[in-house]
Amino acid sequence: MAWAKQGHEAAFRELVRRYERPVFSLLYRMVRDRALAEDLAQETFIKVLNGIKSYKPEFKFSSWIFKIANNAAIDHLRRKSLDTLSLDGSPTAQTPEQMHATALQLGDRGASPLQEVENRELGTAIERAIARLRPEYRSCIMLRHVEGYSYEEIAATLELPLGTVKTYIHRARNELRGYLEDRKDETGPRAAP
Amino acid sequence: MTNLPTHLTTDEIELWAQGLLPAARTMHLADCSLCRVEADRERKVILELVQLPRFAPAAGFADRVMAQVRMPTPSGNFQP
Repeated sequence: MAWAKQGHEAAFRELVRRYERPVFSLLYRMVRDRALAEDLAQETFIKVLNGIKSYKPEFKFSSWIFKIANNAAIDHLRRKSLDTLSLDGSPTAQTPEQMHATALQLGDRGASPLQEVENRELGTAIERAIARLRPEYRSCIMLRHVEGYSYEEIAATLELPLGTVKTYIHRARNELRGYLEDRKDETGPRAAP
Repeated sequence: MTNLPTHLTTDEIELWAQGLLPAARTMHLADCSLCRVEADRERKVILELVQLPRFAPAAGFADRVMAQVRMPTPSGNFQP
């Protein structure tokens, strides 16, 4: 960090190398679009590296970068009104036809190579369940269980009260359990007549 | 009269799922089927979450970032 603060290019590159996967993974799961997640990750790193002189060492560097990444994702989702990215269709859909027309189609024939990669990477049951969570639940649950952050670190990173973070994570896990168990009920072996 | 220990809290269940719950509280699970069922369900979802992979951006990501970063000079100014 000290080298990066002095503007050493190699140190900047090392920071990108070290954090590109965690930051990209968080953003990818937030927006579920590889190209867009990469744009937001670039935006995050550029903001961090151009502002490195304002970095305060008493704050964990990874927390700083996750905070900027999460803000970028939330801002994007708000701008695009994708608050709840539903696999079942737009949250504003009023009829089954509208829901079908706006539903995410995984594994569609004719998908581009990039879409096929996205379908493969984000098509598992747990990833589809995560996609159903509210964005603020999604970022909390990723920081807790993928990055191994403590509740206190998440609260500091996302600038949320500790109680709110705990509530978000508990509700998120509860919803995930529900989605995963519902899915098992739908796909599980049927009882013999 | 039996003095039943209190049920595990959500925080304690998370600690148990991570193998971090003190033995004294873990013992409660042996006697309480309610907590055991809840703890098993919670552990399953936590296990799925901690096994999630990290994804990598496309090759050349660092180069694309560095091309847009202003490198400061030793005097503290930024290179154009």
